[in-house]
Order: sequence, then structure tokens, then C-alpha cells
Amino acid sequence: MSSVIAFEDRERRESRKLLVGLCIFLGVMLGFPVIVNLWYGFADASFENLTGSFIGLENYRDALSNPKMWQALGFSLRFALICTLFEVGIALVLVFILHPLLVTRPWLTAVLMLPMMVSPALMGVMYRLILNEFTGIVPVYLEMAGMAVNFLGRRSIYNTVVAIEVLQWTPFAFLILATARQTVAYEIEEAGAVDGATGWHAIFHIFLPLMRPAIVIVLFVRFIDSFRVFDHIYVLTGGGPGNLTTSISIYIYKLFFVQRTIGEAVAVSTLLLVMSLTLIVLAMRLVVRRN
Amino acid sequence: MIVRRQSPLNILADSLRWVVFAVVALVVNLPVLSTILTSFKTDADINAYPPKWIFTPTLDHYRTVLTSPSVDYLHYVMNSIVIAVLGTIFAIVLTLPAAYAIARYKVGAKWLLPIITNLRALPLIIFAIPFYFMFQTVGLLDTRLGLALISCIINIPIALVLFVGFVQDLPRDFDDAAKIDGASMGQILRHVVVPLSRPVMLAVFILSFIYSWNEFLFGLILTTKSAVPVTVGATFFVTSRGIEWGPTAAAMTIGVLPPLILGLFAYPYMGKSMLAGGVKG
Amino acid sequence: MLRSRILAGTAAAFAAALSASAAYADITILAWPGEPAESAFRKVLDLYNSTAGKENNSKASVIYFSQQGFKEKMLADVAAGSKEFDVMLTATYDVGLYAPFMTPIDDIVTPAVYDVISKNAIETQRYEGKVYGIPTDLSLHFLYYRKDLIEKLLTDDAWKAKYGEISEEILGTKMEPKKPDDWTWDDYIATALFFTKSLNSDSPTRYGTVLQMKNLLYNIMLWQGTAASYGGDWRDAAGNITIDSEAYRKGLAIYKTITDNEATPGDSNTYEYGEANSVFGAGQAAFMVQWNAAVPEFNDPKKYPEVVGKLGLTHEPAGTLGPKTHFHSLGLGINKNSEKQDEAKKFLAWLATAEPMKLYAKEGGSPPLAEKPMAEVAADRPEMLLMGEHAAKYGFVMNGGTSSKALAIYTNQAENFTGYWTGATELDPALKNVVDYMTKAFAK
Repeated sequence: MSSVIAFEDRERRESRKLLVGLCIFLGVMLGFPVIVNLWYGFADASFENLTGSFIGLENYRDALSNPKMWQALGFSLRFALICTLFEVGIALVLVFILHPLLVTRPWLTAVLMLPMMVSPALMGVMYRLILNEFTGIVPVYLEMAGMAVNFLGRRSIYNTVVAIEVLQWTPFAFLILATARQTVAYEIEEAGAVDGATGWHAIFHIFLPLMRPAIVIVLFVRFIDSFRVFDHIYVLTGGGPGNLTTSISIYIYKLFFVQRTIGEAVAVSTLLLVMSLTLIVLAMRLVVRRN
Repeated sequence: MIVRRQSPLNILADSLRWVVFAVVALVVNLPVLSTILTSFKTDADINAYPPKWIFTPTLDHYRTVLTSPSVDYLHYVMNSIVIAVLGTIFAIVLTLPAAYAIARYKVGAKWLLPIITNLRALPLIIFAIPFYFMFQTVGLLDTRLGLALISCIINIPIALVLFVGFVQDLPRDFDDAAKIDGASMGQILRHVVVPLSRPVMLAVFILSFIYSWNEFLFGLILTTKSAVPVTVGATFFVTSRGIEWGPTAAAMTIGVLPPLILGLFAYPYMGKSMLAGGVKG
Repeated sequence: MLRSRILAGTAAAFAAALSASAAYADITILAWPGEPAESAFRKVLDLYNSTAGKENNSKASVIYFSQQGFKEKMLADVAAGSKEFDVMLTATYDVGLYAPFMTPIDDIVTPAVYDVISKNAIETQRYEGKVYGIPTDLSLHFLYYRKDLIEKLLTDDAWKAKYGEISEEILGTKMEPKKPDDWTWDDYIATALFFTKSLNSDSPTRYGTVLQMKNLLYNIMLWQGTAASYGGDWRDAAGNITIDSEAYRKGLAIYKTITDNEATPGDSNTYEYGEANSVFGAGQAAFMVQWNAAVPEFNDPKKYPEVVGKLGLTHEPAGTLGPKTHFHSLGLGINKNSEKQDEAKKFLAWLATAEPMKLYAKEGGSPPLAEKPMAEVAADRPEMLLMGEHAAKYGFVMNGGTSSKALAIYTNQAENFTGYWTGATELDPALKNVVDYMTKAFAK
């Protein structure tokens, strides 16, 4: 008996070796940036003087007292919230409308999935092409229909960057929720609850409650991704006009590369890291307790 | 299977569903579709009013892009391919053994797995600045290897989650049979786990290739000329030439085609793998 | 065991692919993107590689980034010690910022160079007594207009009447059309309104003018001739920030009026150099203030057939101090970290001779030539004489505009002023933000 346990212990010890590569890699690639961030956060480094010297909390004071940081944070939060709700809402509706078609023809999903494969940066440039006032296909047809909408104009630019995000990532929400809907239907069948699963009643009292974990995951993932948006906004507007479309990622980029205030950029990064970690821990607790 | 009677009402409902599908498919794919069409139009056709859907295609814009003296587009394509393939291979090599240990022996299941799956929830920009300095110090700025390492970090979560799921579903009998023959753990991995993991490896490969290919932020910050990936190179193309929509559209078509084609193969895996956690890089 | 052989083959292929990213030219030049100068510069390099370069056993190649983020990227790279390029861009407005990362080149600025390049232009590349760049392009602004349309406006009675009507209705005074040479900024606004279809259904163009209001520092340089022509400046002689002035308010109001009346395309807030050229070149706008670099583009029948042969050029409209234009030179200097200092110097010395400079001018670049070579290329590039004349008569540099802080200040102004034009921020806070920022920047 004891020899079996010893054998298993040996195996466990041996299996630890399999983690070594991954741990070393992550330790170096993630540990080093954290150390760099910690130092630069408390130092007055500049591009002329890359080491800098210790200045205490000044960078954090600068970061927190800069109203633009709060604006950027506000933009990211609002943007993430609006996009996530739209994506999940539209995806849910589509899941229930399209489900009967998809059951027998899975390739239809592939057609709806395509936008997810496109790099968001290139997607931004593509929208520049189709929304261009003079040659863009969308304004041209709208004009024929007697509507003049200027998508990239100052009044609509915010809605446009939201719409681009939503159009690109609703398919993602749709994919996961369709998979979840499929799983739920399968479980109901297993449980022998035949044919009770149609109509509004079933949607609200059977499917949605059972799909809740999947919905929570999608909300969480999409919120996180929209919150850190950079690519398509950078390509389309550069964060402008003014700083109307400056997300927190673009803000950090600008602080570092454009304003060249290394310390403040790093301080904002560190604050963001702490915030994200807190959010993740909270979300995990929530999900774990729910399930 | 529930067999539904084909009443007129059902037929109507089904045709409405088709209409919804068609509209959604068109709307979400309009930019890509329009870009691909534009890339084959002559300049006159691009500016035609109303827009043309039927036209005589031309390859001129592709010629312009691929022979442009100012933008070495083929080099960017090559960069993207090398970066994506390398980053993916690194991620697989690092995570498959770890996944085996985590799933079989519960080593690190409590701490390592959650840490890694939550990696992708962090805003990447946080790491951009330190990586810039770090790469500068060790000479990895503007190298394919440097960007491949970044790709690897981005892909580790998804690879690990998929491999852990795979090993959990793998019957233990295989390992035990090999153990009785006196195989070491490394041999079991090599001769049992790896051959059986081909389908899941393909899924990991396709997904992480797509994420690596589409990465923009680090490509923008960490490259100057040698390792510029397609996503960044295509944007050079737009601004340095003024607005020539034809060549720009051709450049973008080349830039999105590889992940698009892979995506058509990958869609069966995507729903499942994404439910397991980790999506876009 | 086929598999292991395949693996070995793949590994070898990767090793090759990784090493293929090594430099594929002897010296690398990082230059400013944008046509037509880009193609012109390439022809100059071809000349070098087939003549002097061959003798020096060196080959030059050029790289570009996109205009957006160009300076940010380049500065971060040189500051971090990058050796990716040997020859790099310099500019009047940030030579002070680059200087620590560059090698001075006074030893190659011989008297012979002054026979090729105008002395003033070389002075614009000097910082704390040392020259850092060979100037390759003079940059200032022209008013580009459609001769055919303006001609008709000056002669057609119905159009004249309409012009009076629109200006009275929107600007409150009944105005008469004038020749572009005699425009004040008020004429500029009135004419922009007249040529806007939504205000005047007879207008042959959709918009009067096209403004570049992307959140980008160069767009501020393009705009600031308005403020300067009313006496606006960054600082007074005592060093006080003078941004919150009547002149600046007037200049900002000009863009605001045009934007609010939609006399510029609605998505101008995403426009820079290239987009503005597309709009004017497609015949969608009657005139614009634009960098001089675009002139050869509009004389190219393949590119903009709508405009060829109809292009009029003059100085920017006048304020109370007459017309003004921002001007600066772009040049090429040496990256201090480059390991090919000698080779780079040889290239620059060659570049500062008559043959390459004249070739560059002929092919569409805008080099600040000295009198003699200028006379020789004037037939090909008539507007180059105009440039020299305008720079001398109307050119200005803001007080503090060449300091090491200039780039960041322009960037800050871009953010605040584009915000004001597009209605994202109010005028007073926008000015206050800029003043605060500049006060802090100059204090450091």
C-alpha cells in the first residue's frame, strides 16, 4: 500500500518537471515587466535618461490628478458597457431566431463567424473605405434613399466606433450562445422532457436560466476586450477629435510615445493592472459562487 | 429529434429566418466583401456612381501593392507568417506537457491554471512599455523572434485550456498500458499523448495562428522595418500614399485572407474552445 | 522516421526565416512619407546607388512609417538606441529634441553647399550652433484654388448676387467676390460658404473648402497662419504664453465657422494631407489651404484629371498683418547610434551637391535651392520660385517653435483645438488647457 503511495508521489514529483518550461517562460516574460513597471512608476526616467532616479509617489499623483485619465477611463467603461450589452442582446435574439436553421446546417455559422477572423486594425481601415463620404458604399446608398448620414463626422464618430465594435464581435457572442443553446437542448432531451422546449415560455423559463453561465462568461469576456480597445479606434480617429474617442489603451500609448512622460504612463498602467486584477478576482468569485 | 410538421405557418417562419440570416450575414461581412470587390475594380469603377456590383476584374492593384517600391508588402506577409507560426509552436511546446501534469496529477491546477486563464483579461498595453525597454536591452526590438515571443504569451491561455480539456478526456488506460511496459513520463508524452492530440493540436494551431496574425498593438510599438507585420504594414500603405483605395483594398485583402480561410476550417472548434475561456488575443 | 526528417527540415527553414530579417541594404534612411516627394527621393537614391554609391561601395535604401505616429516612433527608437536606420529625418520644429541623438554634420557643410542649398534653409537645421541636417524640403502653405470656378464667380452676375446674399445671411455683411490674391480670411469664409451645395444649390462643388482636422500636430501648423496673420504668437518677448489672445480666438473661429456651416466635408475630423488632396482633386471643393508638396500631384493628369490645368496658387489669405505662412524645412541627418557614421556622412555630402538636388526638384520634391540651381529647375517647377518668395515675405516661426518642447506643444494644441472645432470642448477650456500645458512645458 505504502509503496503505491510512494509511487504516486514520485509520479507527482516527476510531473512537476513538465511545468518548469512554462513557469520559467512566464516568470521571465511577465515578471520582468512587473518589475520594470514598479521601478518606472516611482522614478523620473525620460528618453534622455532611461534609468531615472527615485521620486516617490509623484508619478501616481500626476496620473491621478490628470482629468484626461478619468476621461479616458470613462470612455473605456462606457464603451465596454454599451458594446457588451448590444452584442449580447443582439446575439441572444439571433440565437433563438436562427437556431432551427443552424441545427441541420452548421456551415451557416461559418458565414457569420468571418468578421471575428479579421484583424480589428484592418477592420478599421475597411470601415474607412466603406464609410468614406465620396466613394463609400454605405453613404452612397443612404444618399440615394434620401438620408445623409456622416458616419465619421464629429456628431456620429462615437456611435460609429461603437457600431464597428458591435458588428465585429456580435458574431463571437452569437457563437458561444448558440453553442450553449445547443448544449441545453441536448440536456433537456437527455432528461426526457420532450417537446416542452418550444415557444416563449420555454425560452424564458428553461433556456435562458440554463444558459446563464454562458451568458455571464460572454458578458465578462466581451467587457474585458472592449474595455481595452485600441486597434480600430487608433486607425480610424487616432483618439480624436479632441480626445473624444481616447480609450485608456490609447491614452497610455499617447502618454508614453507622444507626451513622452514615461513615469506617468507607467503609473497609469500599474493602476490599470491593479484595477483589472481586482475586477477579475471579484468576477471569479461571482461566477464560482453562481455555478 | 423532434419532427415538426410542415404547416404553412412553419414554412413562413422558416423563410423569415432565412431573411434574417441573409441580412445579418451581409451586414457583418459588408466591409470585407466590399474591400475584396474594390481590390479587383479599376479606378474608374471604384468611383462609379451608383456602385458597381458586376464589373470586369483587374489585377492591377495587386501588381501595384506587390511591386511597390516604398512598401515591401511581401516582406510584411512573410513576417506575419513566421511570427504566427513560431509563436504558435512555442505555445504548444510549452503548454502541452504542462497541461498533462495539470490534468493528470493536479499539479498547479489550483494556482497556475487560474493565473494563466486570467492572463488574457489584462489590458495588454500595460506590458507594452516594459517590453519595449526589455526588448531594447536584449536586442529583440524589431525582430521576428521578439514578436513571436509576444504571440506565444498571447496564445498560452487558449492553448493550455484546450490541452487540459483534452488530457482530461483522454482515458487513463493508455498511460497505464504504457507504464506497465516501463515507459517514462517523457516517453508517454511523446508516444501516447502527442499522437492522440492531433485534432486538438490542429485546433490550437489554427486559433492561435489567427490571433497572432491579427495582433496590432505590439507590432506597432515594437517594430520599425525588419519585422513589421501585415496589420501594421497595411496601415503604412494607407497614409503614405494618400488615399488610393484600389491598392489599399488589395493590401488589406492580402492581409485578411489567411486568417479568413483558416477561420472557415476552425469554426467547429471555436464555440467549444471559447466557452472554455480565452478568445481574441 | 519520415516525421523527424520533416521536423528537421522545418527547423532549418525557420532558422533561415529568422535570419532573413537582417538588414537588406547597406545604409538605411528613414524619410518622411507622402507623395510626390516619396517617388522623387527614390529616384535620387537610384542615382546614388548607380554612381557615387557604387564608388563608395555602399548602397542606400529608404524606409517609411505611416504619417500618424511617425515622430513618436522615431524618437522612441533613437532614444532607446536603435540602429535600425543610419540616416534619419530632421525638422526645424524639433531639431532641438533630436539633437542629443544625432551627429552634428558641420564638417560637410562646406562653402560649395551654399551654392546648392539656400543659406537660410541650412540655418533652420541648426541647433545651439551646430548643424544637424541637410535640408531636403521646404514646407509652407499655399492657397490652392480652382481658376475656372473663381473666374466665373468674379464675372457671373447671378453668382455675384448669390454671393452677396449668402454672406449677408450667414456672416451679417453683404460682400463682393474678390481675387484670391486679395482675400482676407473673411473672403475665404464667404467664398467657402458660397461653394457649398447645402447653402447654395447652384454650387458646382459639394463643399467650399476642405479642412484637415484630424487630431494630429501637422494640422495645427497648417492652421496657425490664421492666428499669425492677426499677430498671434506662442510667447511674447518676456516669455509669457500669449495663446489666449484675440488673434488666436479669431484664427480658431475661422475653422469653427466653416465647420459649423458644413462648408468642409462632415468627416474632416478624420482628414490629413492625403484625404484633403483626394477631396480637392476629385472636384468636390473649390479651394483649400494646403502644404506646397501637393502641387505636382495636381499637375498630373493621370492622378487628378478634374483639376489639371485649372489650378491657381497664391499665398494664404490676409489678416490684419497681411498674409502669413508657417514654414519649416525637413532634412536628413545622422543617427548617433548608427554604426555606419562615415558611410552616412558620405551619402549626405553627396546629397548636398547640385545633381541630386536638382533631380529631386524635377521629380517632385521641394528642396530649398540656392539661386543658381533654382533658376535651372524653375521651368519644371514654377511654384518653387513662389515658395522662395513666400518664405521670405510671409514666413513666420512661432516664438518657441524650434525648442525641444515644440513637438509636444503642437500635439497638445492639436488635441485641444480639434476638440473645439468639432464641438467636443468649449473655447475657453481649450485655450486654458493649452496655456497651462505650455507654461508647464517651458518651465521644465
